[in-house]
Amino acid sequence: MNSLLIILKKELKDVFRDKKSLSMMLIIPFMIPLIIIGMSALFNMEANKDIKTYNKIGFCYELSEAELNIAKELNIEVIYKDENELKKDYEDGLINLYVTKIADTYILNGTTGENTTFAVDLVNNYFHKYKEYLQVKYLNENNINANKLINIINVEENIKEKDNYFQNYIFTYGFLFIIMAITVSSTYPATDATAGEKERGTLETLITFPIKSKDIILGKFLSVFISNFITGILSLIFYYFSLILSGNMFKIYEGINLVLPFKTFMFIFSVITLYSLLIAGVCIAVASKCKTFKEAQSALTPFTFLSLFPGMLAFMISLKSSLLLSFVPCLNFVLLFQDLMNGSLNILYLIVMFISTIVIIAVLLGVIIKQYKSEKIII
Amino acid sequence: MLTVKNIKKKFIKLEKNNKKIEIYANNGISFTANEGMILGVLGPNGAGKTTLLRIVAGIIEPTEGTVDYDSLIFKDNEIEIKRNLAYLSGNTKIYNTVSAYELLKMCAEVYGVQKTQIKKRIEEISKKLEMDSFLYNRISSLSTGQTQRVNIARCLIHDPKYYILDEATSGLDIISSQIILDFIKEEKKRGKTILYSTHYMEEAENICDYVLMINKGVLVKEGTPDRIKKDTKTTNLRDAFFSIIGGVKNE
Repeated sequence: MNSLLIILKKELKDVFRDKKSLSMMLIIPFMIPLIIIGMSALFNMEANKDIKTYNKIGFCYELSEAELNIAKELNIEVIYKDENELKKDYEDGLINLYVTKIADTYILNGTTGENTTFAVDLVNNYFHKYKEYLQVKYLNENNINANKLINIINVEENIKEKDNYFQNYIFTYGFLFIIMAITVSSTYPATDATAGEKERGTLETLITFPIKSKDIILGKFLSVFISNFITGILSLIFYYFSLILSGNMFKIYEGINLVLPFKTFMFIFSVITLYSLLIAGVCIAVASKCKTFKEAQSALTPFTFLSLFPGMLAFMISLKSSLLLSFVPCLNFVLLFQDLMNGSLNILYLIVMFISTIVIIAVLLGVIIKQYKSEKIII
Repeated sequence: MLTVKNIKKKFIKLEKNNKKIEIYANNGISFTANEGMILGVLGPNGAGKTTLLRIVAGIIEPTEGTVDYDSLIFKDNEIEIKRNLAYLSGNTKIYNTVSAYELLKMCAEVYGVQKTQIKKRIEEISKKLEMDSFLYNRISSLSTGQTQRVNIARCLIHDPKYYILDEATSGLDIISSQIILDFIKEEKKRGKTILYSTHYMEEAENICDYVLMINKGVLVKEGTPDRIKKDTKTTNLRDAFFSIIGGVKNE
C-alpha cells in the first residue's frame, strides 16, 4: 500500500507539473459553456428567425389582387422585375428567392442556402394558400359548396408537448460533451505515464525498484483517474451553470426549468466517476502496448470519437434503453441519462450499467497488471 | 554472494519474409561474485552484456537458468532482493519533473529507508557527491554531469549490497566518467559487490578484480585481468580479447 501511494504521489507530481497534462485537464472543461451557450444561441436564432431576413421575393409577372393579399398576409415583400434583373438581384443578395412562370407552372429559383430554405418554405406556404383560393373560387363558380368539399374531413391536433426539444437536445449533448472532455483529457496523462515513460527511459528505473508491478500500475491508473475525475467535475460544474445561464438568456427555453434536478446531478456525478475509471483503464491498456508517445497518441485518438459516437447516434435515432444495451459502455450512460430525464429510469438497467462497467474496469486492470509483469513492456 | 547459473535468454526475431528465427542473447552463462568484488563484464556492442545485467537486475526474466543473491532465488524473493540492489545503466534516465531532493526522497521511501533518516541520508550523499548547489533544482534543468551525479545518489540512497552498472560511463565526458569510477572504487572499499559492464577494456583493466569476456552471448574467457593477459600472452585486455575471439576480422 505504501509503495502504491509513493507511485501515485510521483505520478500526480508528473501530471500537475506537466503543462500539457495540466492544460488538458483544466482547459477542456472551459469548452463546455462555450458549446452549451453557443448551441443554445444557434437554436434560438433558428427558432426565432426574423422574417425580414428571408421575405424578399421577386416575381417576374404581375400579381393579382388576391395574390397580393395572400403575400401581404404572409409578410412577403413583393418585388417586380423581369427575370434577368431578378436573377441579378438574387445574386447580389437583394432578394431571397424569385418566381418565374411558364403557363400554369410556377418555378421557384434560387441556390441552396440558409435564407433560401426559409424563403422556399414561405413561398410554398404562399402557393398552398393561393391554390386553395383558386379551388374555392372554381367550386363557387360551379355552384358547389366549397366549404363542404374542402373541409370534407376535419383534423385536429391533440399532441401535448412532453419535452421541450431544445431542452432535451442541450441536456443530452452537454452530457455527451462531459464524457468527451474526460476522454480527451485522459489520453495525455495515460500516454505520458506509460509509453512516455518507456520512451524517456525512466520505466527501466521504475522496474528496478522493489515495488510489485501491481502497485506500479495501480498508482499510474489512479493518477490518470484523478486527472479524469477533476476534468469531469469541472465540466459538470460548468455544465450546471451554463444551463442556468442559457435558460435565462434564450427565448427558446421560456417556461422551462434548466436547473439540473438533484437525481440527474447525482447520476452524472456517478457516471463521471465510473467513466473516469473506465477510460483511465482503456487508455493505459492501449498506451502501454505502444513504444513511443506519438504511437500511443495515434492509437488513442479514435477513442475520443468512440466515446461520443454511440451516444450521439442513440440520441439521433431515438434508441431506447434495454437490458442488453445496458451492458454496452458509453451507450448505456446516454440511454439511461435520457431515461432519467424522461422520468422512466429502470433500476435494473442502472444496476447492470454499474456492475458491467466495474467488471470491465477490473478486467482492464488485470490485463494491464499482466502487461507490466511481462518483460515485453520494457523490450 | 551473487550466483548466476547457466543463464540463457532467447529472443524471437521476425525476418523480412515473416520467418521467425531464435536468437540467444545469452547462452549458458554462469559466474559468481563475492563481497567486495568488482566483476567486469566485457564484450563488444551486441555481445549480450546488457541482457545479462538486465536479467541479474530482475528487469527481464531468463529463458533458462537462475540468479541467486545470498542463496535467495530471485524469482521467489524479488522484492526482498531488489531492496539490496542498485541498477544504473548508460541509458537509465530519471524523472525530470522533480527536483534532485524529491527524487532521492522518493527512492528512499521506495527502498524503505526509515522516515527519520531520509533527510540526513540525502544531506550526506549530497555532500559526498557535491550536489548541494543543485539539490533543490528540477532535474530537467541540470547538466548531464549533474544528472549523472543524481543518478549515482539514487543508487546510494538505500546503501545497497549489490550494484549492477551497465555501461554507466558510456557517452559521458572525462569528468563525469571519473565521478562514476571513483564511486565504484569507494563502494568496493565498503565491501559492496559490483557487477560492471563496459566495452572500454582499459577502464575494466583498471578497476575490475575479475573479468567475464562475452562474445555473441557466450562466455569466452574469465579470470583476473592479470590471469587473462598471462593466458593470452598479451599486455592488455583489448589485445587479449582479440586474441581470444580470433582477431578483428573474425569479430
